[in-house]
Amino acid sequence: MAQDYTEYLAINVLNEQQLVSYRSLSRALKVHSNLAKQMLYEFHRKQNAKKPGSVHATYLITGIRRAQSPAHTNGVHSQEDGDDTVMQSSPPLPSSFAPHHEEEAEEPVAVRSVLLVKEEHLEQAKATFDSVTGIHINSLQANGLSDVQSLTECNRKIVESYASEDPLQAWKQYGTIQNPNVKRRTQRKGPPPPARIAKDADAKMKPLAPTTKPTALEKQASKESKDSQESKPASKPSSAKATPEPSKKPAAVNRQGSDIFKSFAKGKTKPKKEDSQSSAEATAAATEPEDEAMGGFSEEEDDAEDGAADVDEVPKESEGKSKKEREADLQAMMDQEDEIMEDAAEAIPDKTAEEQDEGAIDKPDSQQAEEPAKDTVTMENGRRRGRRRVMKKKTVKDEDGYLVTKEEAAWESFSEDEPPPKKIEAAPAASTNKPAAGKKAAKAGQGNIMSFFSKK
Amino acid sequence: MASEATTLRNIVAAFTDFLTVAIHTILYERAIYPQTSFLSARKYNFAVRQNRHPKVCGWINDAVSAVEMELLKGTVERVAIVIFTKDNKPAERFMLDVSRFPTATLADLDTPLERKSANGDNISILPKVDMEEQFRATLSRLANCGSTLRPLPEGSTFTVAIELKGVGQAPIAHPQPWMPVEPTKQDDIDGRVQKRAVPVRAVAAGEMMLECWIEEAAVSD
Repeated sequence: MAQDYTEYLAINVLNEQQLVSYRSLSRALKVHSNLAKQMLYEFHRKQNAKKPGSVHATYLITGIRRAQSPAHTNGVHSQEDGDDTVMQSSPPLPSSFAPHHEEEAEEPVAVRSVLLVKEEHLEQAKATFDSVTGIHINSLQANGLSDVQSLTECNRKIVESYASEDPLQAWKQYGTIQNPNVKRRTQRKGPPPPARIAKDADAKMKPLAPTTKPTALEKQASKESKDSQESKPASKPSSAKATPEPSKKPAAVNRQGSDIFKSFAKGKTKPKKEDSQSSAEATAAATEPEDEAMGGFSEEEDDAEDGAADVDEVPKESEGKSKKEREADLQAMMDQEDEIMEDAAEAIPDKTAEEQDEGAIDKPDSQQAEEPAKDTVTMENGRRRGRRRVMKKKTVKDEDGYLVTKEEAAWESFSEDEPPPKKIEAAPAASTNKPAAGKKAAKAGQGNIMSFFSKK
Repeated sequence: MASEATTLRNIVAAFTDFLTVAIHTILYERAIYPQTSFLSARKYNFAVRQNRHPKVCGWINDAVSAVEMELLKGTVERVAIVIFTKDNKPAERFMLDVSRFPTATLADLDTPLERKSANGDNISILPKVDMEEQFRATLSRLANCGSTLRPLPEGSTFTVAIELKGVGQAPIAHPQPWMPVEPTKQDDIDGRVQKRAVPVRAVAAGEMMLECWIEEAAVSD
């Protein structure tokens, strides 16, 4: 240990010509500050014995200072003497802790001062003290210190280099003055609730109210952009506002799948399967607008789920087509959808198979054959069943990054007792005005399919 | 403040800031002006001295802007702060070697600079923290140089000089901020006149590469 400090000081003070204060020494060698002070003193003494003037020191004098007239303190170069009236050209500097004396010394008040002096002024400074309670070396430097305030650099280095040390543990080692009553305050972390949910909730609030209005589309578009990356989990809390249903959407899709099973046989399995396949992004994205679109018909939640299942099949609107034409149209329609579907590749064979299935279904159900054309209802038996063409909005991000919302007719099965709701006009072209108009017209025109939704 | 796009202008601006502070520090250290006329300031998180007299500050600012103009042209090799004695003899020179600054044509002064390492990563052109640290160290060394140098005689004065790289680039156009000076004749006739060079520091932070040293004319009296 003894060798360490000599070496350390020799390197830093003499070779590198740095300022070494007792604090830096204690931190560097991990010794108590008082020991560091002694080390500094020893080194200073030895070096100056070898070569006088090679090492220069600054001292810290603590004591009770004699009340003095301003003129006397002029000679002391400790810069904290701002109380002197004589040298007032530079403002008082807070570089040390000496309190200001009272100028009028009628009654000499004992002032306890801590004074930082260069060694050349040491004796002079000591003379200004009534009694000296402590004196120790503050720092060492080679050759002399021109500017006392450069000593501040030592402290800055300490703070910088040793910031990682916990002062509550290190104080014993270094001899820092410690208040025994000090306790560390633990940080109570309260991170703000995930911004996503709040944001989504806000976004959802808007589309909820006027879902059928064209404005809903823009909002959905904006909402879509936020949600397109977030799959179902995100949509769950956000949709919670709309209806309780959508929150269970992922499960709901499957559930609706089973419902679809009930109402229709094979044809529906494919769409459901596709849905689960493309669960992650596209469907969620697609189903979201559907949910919102359907949200307006508040009673139609279930069928909204149904609609979710049917998103993949978008038969083209046409009247009186033969089955083959319908199939061709369906194929074309489905090909359009490829941009949305993540797993479009696997979707296509599914779709083609589905087409045939559809054809198979449609065949025996001649009445159902009407459906692609008109979404009429079949088997009116107090309970309407059938496939219905629903306007679904799909918001898609095309290659330029623009969100394009398309109104596309999607088939979905429904089953209700009410008179059919208003007709939804199928319009594959993207349009924002048409849906509203179409829906109104549909309501007036065709059967009351849509009203079936209300009851569910 | 340049964030990613450091241009030559930014580099030169950073250097001129440093130069201003360095000049003030040297003036304080060598007591060219009374030390009481300096107030404490902070630069690069370091306590420095700054002169308070408006004319002094004004002169220094003008000199530094003239240096900046030359730096932007890319003609400067070294910047010197020369301390003269009363008899107009240079006693000391504080040299800053800036020959390794990047140079650019007038059109490219505001072009962002980029340097890639061997494996294609972008090396920072002007790493601010690094640079500040090194400037701090240089100023700290400069500040303490007062102790190593011989005390100056009374009435010394100072000036700022630049040494140019090539021949045909002297800024003697009108208005003329610079006075052309003959190369210093320190070590010609006598031979006994020696110069002592004291290295101060070298700064190498990104593209900011400069060296600083002090040349002292041996006083042969």
